[in-house]
Amino acid sequence: MLWLTAFFLVPYLIVVIYSFLSPDIYDVRFEVSLDAYRQIFAGNYLRPFLLSFKLAIYTTLICILLGFPVAYYIARAKEKLRNTLLIFIIIPFWTNLIIRIFSWRIFLAYNGVLNDLLISAGLISTPLEIMRTDLAVILVMVYVYLPYMILPLYSTLEKLDFTLLNAAMDLGANEVKAFFSITLPLAVEGIFAGTLLVFIPSLGAYLIPQLVGNQRSLYVGQVITYKIKNIPRNWPMASALSLTLLLLVAVMLLIMYYLFRKHKARRLQS
Amino acid sequence: MKRFSAPRFFRGMNLTAFTMVMIFLYIPILILIIFSFNDAKIITGWKGFTTKYYVQLFNNQNIKDAFWNTMLIAGLSTLISTTLGILTALGLEYKKFSGRKIMQGLIYVPLVIPDILMGVSLALLFNFTRVTTGMFTVLIAHVTFCISYTVIVIQSRLEGFDYSLVEAAQDLGAKPSYIFWKIKFPLMMPGIIAAGLLAFTLSIDDFIITFFTSGRGFDTLPIYVEGTIRRGTITTINSLSTLMIAFTLFLVVITKRVRKIMISAL
Repeated sequence: MLWLTAFFLVPYLIVVIYSFLSPDIYDVRFEVSLDAYRQIFAGNYLRPFLLSFKLAIYTTLICILLGFPVAYYIARAKEKLRNTLLIFIIIPFWTNLIIRIFSWRIFLAYNGVLNDLLISAGLISTPLEIMRTDLAVILVMVYVYLPYMILPLYSTLEKLDFTLLNAAMDLGANEVKAFFSITLPLAVEGIFAGTLLVFIPSLGAYLIPQLVGNQRSLYVGQVITYKIKNIPRNWPMASALSLTLLLLVAVMLLIMYYLFRKHKARRLQS
Repeated sequence: MKRFSAPRFFRGMNLTAFTMVMIFLYIPILILIIFSFNDAKIITGWKGFTTKYYVQLFNNQNIKDAFWNTMLIAGLSTLISTTLGILTALGLEYKKFSGRKIMQGLIYVPLVIPDILMGVSLALLFNFTRVTTGMFTVLIAHVTFCISYTVIVIQSRLEGFDYSLVEAAQDLGAKPSYIFWKIKFPLMMPGIIAAGLLAFTLSIDDFIITFFTSGRGFDTLPIYVEGTIRRGTITTINSLSTLMIAFTLFLVVITKRVRKIMISAL
């Protein structure tokens, strides 16, 4: 407990203090300044925040759309098969993150495998420029975060009582109707958990935009990192941006918590 | 009773989706393995078979150093964070003391905040306290982000704990220390192993927090790999990656037990 206080809470206190100081090329000057916040309120950093937000939303939505049928398939598979199928989902997730991103670079690069394949198949004549675009960032984000969506979805779908579906269809509901009125509402908990695991980290993404993205469209994570690592440094700015991101995350968490409570209350009513 | 069979439309769609996602998940990894044998210095098409980059890999002192640094940090942070995790989980078990809810909250919070923020805050802490960054600071950082996971995994094991066993032992006159080591600890063991494995994997895999807390001259493998990719010399990275994937697969295949524990931990 002491450990978390010393190395989790205290550092944030320092971030707060630093956000009110003045920048220096290598360090901070201990002079109070509101300059960092002034810049944020002036909207100078709106673009990276919007980009990160958009990225997080796209990543989460695509993960839900792709993850749901997969989780459903695993949950409906024969019991002996389920663990094996789950392992197949987890293996990539154990493989080092950078390595997985790197393999996408080989795949998507201008001279990469995908372009070679498409050209030799005669589908395109000049290589596609997918690397270093926002599309590549979303693609790799989905790739990395998909298991985080599938696993919680699976654990709620596994508990789902499929006899309910049987009953609904015996009573004359068609497949689609049964899905929307029974399976989906009961799986909402899994969707919430998955969204929590995908959306929040996506907001702070640094490595994926850095390695497959474009330097002309910087995400919040990159801007913060540059302010800390690159010279001239601007640690007050990095601190203020970090706190803004933290605030955004807190607001998102509160919204999700509120929606979740509402969903639960509605379920108890019916 | 007849087993419920999913509507045909959904079954077909789900199988297709599953297969496609599988291809999506594994294609990059397969390509990486194949291209580790490619005789080319930059990212490009197939230029012929070679194993020379594996030889280069084993002769590269920087990679060896980074590898041992990674292992050292992972080993130590697993040990420390698991020990602290056990103590915290046991401490939180006594439901009465005040501030328990706040402590539980403090454990959950790091999990729902983007990693990068922990990296930034620790970087500023080490700057503020003028600690020279290096192995020591990386170790502190790794323990900090592992601890929440180890506490939660061990707690979930303690949740289903059958206290009648402890009571029975007490009735038979066992000393508290005897009860702990002979009953409680062995029953906690699966949770402890799962927590340790989780901490180890998290530590090996971490890039961003290490990036903010390591100084010059102390590279872990992810840091080394990222630097190499940025400089554009990728030849040994393919072979290094393939070995790391092989290591993961090796673990998965030989340790069925570990597999079960990992699933229960997730």
